[in-house]
Order: sequence, then structure tokens, then C-alpha cells
Amino acid sequence: MLISWRYKYRNSIMDKIDPRARWIFSFAFLLSATMFWNASFLFIFFTLAVIWYSFGKTKWKETRHGWFLVSIMLFSMIVINTIITGGGAGGVVPPGGRVIWPQQFTVPLLNWEINFGLTVERLWFSLCQLMRLGGISLIFLLIPYTMDSRAYGATFHGLGMPDSVAYTMELAIRFIPTLARDLSVTLDAQKARGYEIEKVKGGIFKKIARIAPLLVPVTMNAIIGSEDVANAMDLRCFGQAKRTWIYPLEYHWWDYFLIGFSALMLVGSIIAAHVLNLGGFWTPEWFLNLFV
Amino acid sequence: MEEKKKSIWKFGTREVVFAAIGAALYAVLGYATNMLQLPGAGNVSIRPAVVIPMFFGIAFGPIVGFISGFVGNILADLLSGWGFWFWWDLGNGLMGLVPGLFAGMIVDYKAVKSLLLGELSVILGSGVGMGVASLSEMWVSGADMNTVIFANFIPSFVSNIVNGLILLPILMVAYAAVVQRSGRS
Repeated sequence: MLISWRYKYRNSIMDKIDPRARWIFSFAFLLSATMFWNASFLFIFFTLAVIWYSFGKTKWKETRHGWFLVSIMLFSMIVINTIITGGGAGGVVPPGGRVIWPQQFTVPLLNWEINFGLTVERLWFSLCQLMRLGGISLIFLLIPYTMDSRAYGATFHGLGMPDSVAYTMELAIRFIPTLARDLSVTLDAQKARGYEIEKVKGGIFKKIARIAPLLVPVTMNAIIGSEDVANAMDLRCFGQAKRTWIYPLEYHWWDYFLIGFSALMLVGSIIAAHVLNLGGFWTPEWFLNLFV
Repeated sequence: MEEKKKSIWKFGTREVVFAAIGAALYAVLGYATNMLQLPGAGNVSIRPAVVIPMFFGIAFGPIVGFISGFVGNILADLLSGWGFWFWWDLGNGLMGLVPGLFAGMIVDYKAVKSLLLGELSVILGSGVGMGVASLSEMWVSGADMNTVIFANFIPSFVSNIVNGLILLPILMVAYAAVVQRSGRS
């Protein structure tokens, strides 16, 4: 099994920003955007996310796999839950509203009567959802493609995680190719004995149980092998003193600017949404008039 | 001989390595099975690998279980290029943490009582983990409770408990043999 990280150096603006500043901005964006259902604010956040995404210089060919997942999520949240069933709009969009699709709809030939009742307000809410979820997706989808996996340990340590937890992340990244190779070797060895993971016969329970001949040896070998790693770490006095990192991180003036901007964005959002009460959902008059 | 009581909250060198192994295993197996999306269920895939954080929780304690699920899910999504979804990573971490709370009660991994406790922990862990992750969709996506229950919670909860209930006892019995042979616990 070929496992490779999605990251590659692109000489982009994103490559020059410190990963810690990027995490701070990403979380500040998430917290800020989720305070609003007001389309004007969401449009600002969405535009900001598009600009941020463009800093990554990623190509569609590279990210389309990730966008496929996001499109499934957006489809289920917006098309199915808000537009078709009205579920996603519950609690945010006030009940009632101007119906723009027949309340009752008869399916031709089958004569099924469906209560649909799509309102202008729900349609506007789905646009708001698209901007909010789309913006968040733009920010977080970019991370695997533009953040060097070698810097994760130092980054999380720099964000205040204890050494042991940050080092766990580093160690996990180091184990991935080894375990992927073990999985591949085990799969080949089991197949040589007649093991058929692709066998389509049997129900879901049998299919899951069929994973066991692959899962058990890989897991148990990894646990047995980890004793050697733990002993080697103990011999090198792991955890006895403050760690240093192979890839040290250094803030530049633009990182401080980004952190300051993130803090301003978060504080500004809190004031706008919770002090001035500007974050609520409302449908603009011009949009309502479109459906008169 | 008096049985030594296990400290479930210890996080020394061995636990660091086990947590890293658990996270890497979850990432690799999760990556291999990430392609199986449940139709009509937002953000949810069938992952037999979910048993890994549950098992590492049961075997090595709640911190190891949490890190295996949390970091493993981050790494699996990074490998697949699916971005970073903090609330689902947290849910996966809790799915390993809750079984870890049972670690102190389990000494003989192949005893019927231990296996039953393991199965109970799978249900509780999946319920808490997927519950937290699904409820967070209300905050992020503006989904209502019905949507959260039917589009997020039920598909992920059912899929995870089916995988966990079948595969956890198999891993526990296999680990009992490893413990017996090597004399470690």
C-alpha cells in the first residue's frame, strides 16, 4: 500500500506563514464564523476564506478528492436537510414564511402527494449555510496540502501542548510508513494462504469479521515491536528534560500580524454577535421581492 | 499473590509509544477504509479501524485511547486529503477515552467478564464520541436535532458499534495471548 503525505512545497504565501499562526487563525475563523447567520457577515468570512485558500496555491487536481467529501457533506446539510426536508433550518429560520414551491406536490404516474413547502427564507438560509460551511471547509481543507507534517510536533508544542503529547504526534507520523508496509506484507501473506478480503459474499457482520486476519497480526506485531522503541527512548532519558525539535519554528513580523488579526477578528465577532446582536438570521427585502 | 492495581491515568514512555502506535494504526487502517462512504450520511464512513482507539483505550488506559482516536483521525484525514474537522477528531478521541475508563477493571483480557465490559465500553464510547461530534454539527452547520440524529449520529454510531462489537473481543483475546506469552501487562 502506497502512503504519501499530501503536502508539497509550492513556494506559496502559505509556505511562509508559521504553522502556529495558521492554527490560531484557523480556529479564530471557525469560532468567529460560527457566531453568525447574518449573510453580510458570512459573505465577509467567505471572501476571507477564499483569499486564504488562494494563498495555498493548490491545484484542483490535488484537492478534488477532499472537495468530494465536502460536497457530500454540503449536499446532505443544505440540499437534503434544509431545502428538501426543512430540517437544517430548524431553530434558526422562524416558522412560516413565503412559500415558493407548492405546498402539496403530486408525483406524476405514482400519484404520491408530497408536502414540500420550500420558503424564500429557507432558500436564503441555505445560501447562508453554503457560505458558512464553504468558508470553514476552505480554511481547513487546505491544511493537509500546505502544512509540512515534519513540523506538527514542534507546532503543537509551540501551541502549549505538553512535550509528551506533541512527541506522540511526531512518533505516530514516523510509524505510519512502517505500519503501512506491515499491513501490505500481512495482506500479501494472508492472500497467499487463501484469504480473500474482497470476497463479496456474506452479510455486513461477516465482512467486518473478515478484517480480523489482517487487523490482529498487524496490531499485535506493532504492540510487541513498540516495547523496543520504548526501551530505546528510556535509554535516551526520554521525558527527563525539556525537548528540542529538529525543525524549530520562528515567528516573523507577518505571523504576529496574522495572530493580531485573528485576535481582532474573534473579539470583533464576539462584540458584533453577542453585544450588538448583529449575528442573527434575516432575509433581505430584495431577495424576498425576487419571488413576488 | 495480591494483584497489582493498574493506574489508568499514567502517561510515561511506554504510553507515549503505545499512543503513537495506536494513532498510526488508526490512521493507516482508516486511510485504507476511508473510501467506504455511507450513502446519505454527512461526513461519515464505515471504518473497521474504529476498533483501534477502543482497544488501545481498554489495553493501555484512557489517555492512550484518546490520543489514538484523536491524533489517528487527524492523520487519517491528512493522508486522505480530507482536511481537518476538529469536532469529529474530538469525537474519535472520546471513542477511545471512554473504553479506557474500563482499563482498570480488566486484568484477564480473555475472561468473559472482561469481554462483556469491553463490549459495554464500545457502546458507551461510540455513544459519547459520536454524540459529541454529531451535536457539534448543530453549532457548525446550523443543523437541527433531527438532522443531527438521523444524518450524523445514527449512521456513525451504528457503524462504529457494529465494527467495535465484532472486532474488539477478537483483539482482546489475541492480546491476552501476547500478555501471557511475554509476561507483560
